[in-house]
Amino acid sequence: MRRLLHIEQIKLLNYNPFRIALGIYFLAFSLGLIIYPAIDKQIPVISLSDLFRFPDVWFFLTWITEPYNILLALIVIMITTKEYSDHTFKTQVIFGLSRAELLLQKLLLLVLLAFFATLLLGVTTLILGLIYSYKLTFGIAMENTWILGRYMVSSIAYMSIGLLVALLIKNTALSLLTFLAFRVFVDPVLFLILRKYEVKWYLPMRATTQLTPVPDLIEIFERKMNNPEPVDNSTFNILPEGLPAWLNMLMVLLYISLAIWLSYRILQRRRFS
Amino acid sequence: MKEILTIQGLSKSYKQIKAIRNLDLEISEGEAYGILGPNGSGKTTTLSIVTGIIRQDSGQFKWFGDEPEASQRRSIGSLIEAPHFYPYLNLERNLKIVCDIKGMPYGDIERVLETAQLADRKKSRFSALSLGMKQRLGIAAALLGDPRVLVLDEPTNGLDPEGIAEVREIVLEQVQRGKTLILASHILSEVEKICNHVAILKKGELLANGPVRELLAEDEIIEISCNNNQDLMIKLKGSNLVKEVAIENGLLVVTLNEKVTPAEINTFTFKSNLVIHHMLSRKRSLESQFLELVKE
Repeated sequence: MRRLLHIEQIKLLNYNPFRIALGIYFLAFSLGLIIYPAIDKQIPVISLSDLFRFPDVWFFLTWITEPYNILLALIVIMITTKEYSDHTFKTQVIFGLSRAELLLQKLLLLVLLAFFATLLLGVTTLILGLIYSYKLTFGIAMENTWILGRYMVSSIAYMSIGLLVALLIKNTALSLLTFLAFRVFVDPVLFLILRKYEVKWYLPMRATTQLTPVPDLIEIFERKMNNPEPVDNSTFNILPEGLPAWLNMLMVLLYISLAIWLSYRILQRRRFS
Repeated sequence: MKEILTIQGLSKSYKQIKAIRNLDLEISEGEAYGILGPNGSGKTTTLSIVTGIIRQDSGQFKWFGDEPEASQRRSIGSLIEAPHFYPYLNLERNLKIVCDIKGMPYGDIERVLETAQLADRKKSRFSALSLGMKQRLGIAAALLGDPRVLVLDEPTNGLDPEGIAEVREIVLEQVQRGKTLILASHILSEVEKICNHVAILKKGELLANGPVRELLAEDEIIEISCNNNQDLMIKLKGSNLVKEVAIENGLLVVTLNEKVTPAEINTFTFKSNLVIHHMLSRKRSLESQFLELVKE
């Protein structure tokens, strides 16, 4: 595994588009987290600062940063299709990598990216929480940190679907467009069409976004109006929408497994020429 | 001799086109094995299958007597068609990736770059190399770890005469060091110079297979000129000494029957009261043998 990771490290740390895309991700992430609190000062009556307090900040930030996973998926698509266009999958097979190892090296990479994205989120959330919270105890600060685990699974889901699309289509532009269309158009439209049926919650992208769902913002603002004094230990709820949490997680894990299995089948059958 | 590669009943089709049909080959240790054939004969398909790039429809192959596995390819140095490396990485980093795949230290990189005369370009990006340099890097990568077997598919493709000579020298040196070489080429003289064994393919079928010396020595051909070529031709055709007699540029080109020597033809001509002016044993080139086979 270390060998496969080292190969990916040589390839990617010297690949400018990867470094730029990762830079954009970190920049967008950091800027977003600076900008959101700044917006707060522009909105009269309602203060958003409650959202940045422990322990609510964990839910709020995982929700608002979830779309950044799209960028991670696009990075995975870009580096995978590049292997096709440079015929380097072929080279790696010739010199002794198995097709399963080709997949494994990409899976290791996406787990690593998901881990660092989660770590980045965790650190920034901690910093913002420390800045905006009035009263602090370790218990309050660490409450709800479990949502980070769901965020990491969500990142892996995005990237494994991206990987599948890239392996299937091979062409960079077409793969990027297909993934974006699926995430931004097809899945939401299907959700609307199926709005009367429970099955809508089982759609792959919907189930994935539901891992880090919309916090119950109305509840928190109502609470704020009723009790203008800042209270640190009253947490807001996640909107009670969609599947039960365990079923939602199971569905996403199933989609991840399916994407990996299909990717494996594609790589097994693919002619590398 | 130890078996290196055994191919049995290998077949592969691309939609309606049968690229290789029921191919059988056996390559032993230390052989320099040439696979000859015109374009579309199935040379690259065969090598692509045995190096794991594509999968066969039927048949099987074994490396070192065992079922094929990715790990076996780590002790084989291959260059199939054009070399493909990461264009944005320099030569050294590209070879580091190959070392990592093969699970070997980076110590051998300098040696193979020296062998391929690319040591001074090790910090150049792969995309900045000329075609010949790229080809030489492909060979350098194949030589990493001093593999037991080299599989080279058209290694001199697209090279200028100087480049061809350089690559040939590198390959010959490996053969002289006792490496097993599997070389696919349509350049007959190249195979003739490097290989001691040859298989000739046409439309995916094996036409001939054996040591180059035997293939060339199948029929002995001599050219003769005497005071009456027409008369000698008739007499030779009536004898049981020759397979074929033809006139080419005023000379009789005679294909001898098995075990018949040019001396017996000389005696026969003398006894027929004809005087020979010119008699020459014609060495068959691999090219003429190849062209004859693929024409059929």
